Amino acid sequence: MSSPAPGIEVHGLHKSYKLGRTHLHVLQGVSFSIQSKEFVAVVGASGSGKSTLLHLVGLLDRMDKGTVKLDGVDVATLSRGKRNRMRCHDVGFVFQFYHLLPELSVLENALLPAKVDESVLGWIRHRGEHRAAAIEMLERVGLSERMKHRPKELSGGERQRVAIARALMNRPKFLLADEPTGNLDSRTGRQILQVLRTASQDIGQTVVMVTHDVALAAEADRVLHLRDGKLTK
Amino acid sequence: MYKLTLCLKYLVNRGLAYFAMLGVAVCVFLMLVCVSVLTGFVDKIEVAAKGLFGDVVISSASLGGVGQYDELIRRIEKDVPAVEGASPFILTFGILRVPGTDFRRTVQVAGIRLPERATVSDFEKGLFVQAGLDQPTFDPCQPLVMQRLREDILRTDDILKAVNKAAPDGSLTPDQKGLVGRLRNALYYQDQAYIAFRDADATRKQFEDIEAKINAADEAGDDDKLQQLEAERAMVERDLILPPDRRAILGLGIAGLSFRTPKGEVVRVIGPGQQIVLSLIPLGRNVSYTNIIPVTRSFTVIDDCSTDVASIDSEIIYVPLETLQQLNNMDAEVAADDPNLMVQPARCSQIHIKVKPELSRGLALKKVARQIDAVVTTFLTDHPNAARSSVDVETWRERQGRLVNAIEAQRTLMILILGIISAVAVVLIFVILYVVVVQKTRDIGVLKAVGASNLGVAGIFLAYGGAIGMIGSIVGAVGGCFFVWNINPIHDWMARNFSFEVWNRETFMFEKIPNAVEADTVVWIVALAIIAGIFGSLLPGILAARRQPVEALRYE
Repeated sequence: MSSPAPGIEVHGLHKSYKLGRTHLHVLQGVSFSIQSKEFVAVVGASGSGKSTLLHLVGLLDRMDKGTVKLDGVDVATLSRGKRNRMRCHDVGFVFQFYHLLPELSVLENALLPAKVDESVLGWIRHRGEHRAAAIEMLERVGLSERMKHRPKELSGGERQRVAIARALMNRPKFLLADEPTGNLDSRTGRQILQVLRTASQDIGQTVVMVTHDVALAAEADRVLHLRDGKLTK
Repeated sequence: MYKLTLCLKYLVNRGLAYFAMLGVAVCVFLMLVCVSVLTGFVDKIEVAAKGLFGDVVISSASLGGVGQYDELIRRIEKDVPAVEGASPFILTFGILRVPGTDFRRTVQVAGIRLPERATVSDFEKGLFVQAGLDQPTFDPCQPLVMQRLREDILRTDDILKAVNKAAPDGSLTPDQKGLVGRLRNALYYQDQAYIAFRDADATRKQFEDIEAKINAADEAGDDDKLQQLEAERAMVERDLILPPDRRAILGLGIAGLSFRTPKGEVVRVIGPGQQIVLSLIPLGRNVSYTNIIPVTRSFTVIDDCSTDVASIDSEIIYVPLETLQQLNNMDAEVAADDPNLMVQPARCSQIHIKVKPELSRGLALKKVARQIDAVVTTFLTDHPNAARSSVDVETWRERQGRLVNAIEAQRTLMILILGIISAVAVVLIFVILYVVVVQKTRDIGVLKAVGASNLGVAGIFLAYGGAIGMIGSIVGAVGGCFFVWNINPIHDWMARNFSFEVWNRETFMFEKIPNAVEADTVVWIVALAIIAGIFGSLLPGILAARRQPVEALRYE
């Protein structure tokens, strides 16, 4: 019996930033692969390169060297437009600071990826379907009662749930969470993790969660340890 | 779709946008008001000039004028198909007096042919007695004149009642007392005029009887009776309605003959039915200037005319062309020893020409004027005695060139100044958009994280700027249109309440401030404002688009 195809393949990944006259080598030849529908946690101290790794995998940044393949597609070969489309359709992000748009309501925030994907005419045609999908996602994260509220009227945990609903909106194959509980107390953090896990399982997503909380990481199927830009085990 | 959503959200929720819209609205408002008023001013000059002189004017450089003008007109109408009509015109100066008063002032005396005049100008549109008649004459039917006079008396009476009603206890201010006195004086003259028309036939018969008695007394050599009858004749003559060749149409606005109430209502004091006396120096024929004898004639005012050009209306009197030719020595001159031998034909000082509307503007009109000039040149070659000095052919615009060019230069300068002011609106939009882009840096990161393209992100801010321009310009345009349409009531109100009068009728020639807004003016100003809005948002939009998503998400 053959093993399932890897959802994410990273090989020899290098990334450095220029800070004044010095070059910071944030990632130094990172390689790993994550199976489809696997829930993987990446742990490491602050500055170990966790977020950078997530940004490279999520096509938010470009690597200096190495390859990142999502579902077998080498993202370095993609045009800017295709990278945008892949970010829209195949990747969902959850950030530590939620990054909700304050002008939009909870429902509108959740609908944002669908709106990015649709033209005005397309939106007129498919508005009902998208709304139903967003409502379903918000119900899934337990926010069906707060759809008309603005982010500033929500608690931290609720905001992160909205961010999860937004990340799941287009039912992407990959969910990338950057310290999703980092700004929450431990009880709320566990609830959020539970929501994240359940929702992603229901949809059948590959999840990469970056965290510095080892206890939280233990909830994942597998844990990758990152130290000074290198995987240690 | 996200571009539209976020653009609308930013418009509604960002207070800064309202300041930018206000800036755009003020600029559009100012631009629209200035351009409309100045364009309207130029248009009014065009309408007034065409209304007074037609589209093209043939004029003689000398007071001697142009002879054989009827033949010249026939030739022009035959050879230049673009010409719709032409009419001779004489303009000279005179002294106006009102018998029985000490009123006297210098005026311009215009000799015109009616109803022909209506074919080349809008003369008939400004008439009072013959309002609405296409064929005005110096001999309108008596019932019509009496009806108009009756209406005028009633109107003056209503004004008087309204002034008295404003102070029922009789406590009139000095200004109101002065107005009441002037209104009563006007009513007295209006009544006299009405009576003169009503009793015209009886007065004429009385006059003829006295004339017959004078003849009889003259034949009998009864000098005492003759003297008594001549005094009697002079009294009756003042009430006569003189024959059509001794009738005049007053410009409505000659100071002292009519006045305006504080509300702007025109009250005629000396008008239709009254007699006036014109004295002028006949300069139409070569005379010895050491021996010029002024000529004086009485005229019955039969109508008055408003051209809406205050500078014209305040000093012009129209009389029949042939009458003025005689008074000004421009009639046909025959040899002293042979009445059948014409030494010089009758002349006019100008010929006013109406051109077909489709050819009456710009280069087309200039072309027509050149064709007319060619006909005039040929005519003068064929008839060397027709004019003893040069004859000019000019379009209305060439005649009014200095004035029109000055106003157009003023308009250009205004647009330039307002354009510079409007650049401030562009800078305002730029600054506000830049602040918004900085404030929204994280949002830009989020949008890119969910797949928004650079162009899409830039589009949000370009649309935002365009929408600020559009909303601001619509508000400004609506306000500007409202202001321009109501500029005269607003101006009058300001003048009444704050003694702040910008539009001086004497200075600006016209009674009313131009209050028309041209649709294409609105369209190009609004379009410019929208483009300015987009231009102002261009750089912030590009900056937003070029933000790297990771940098944007990390932005503190």
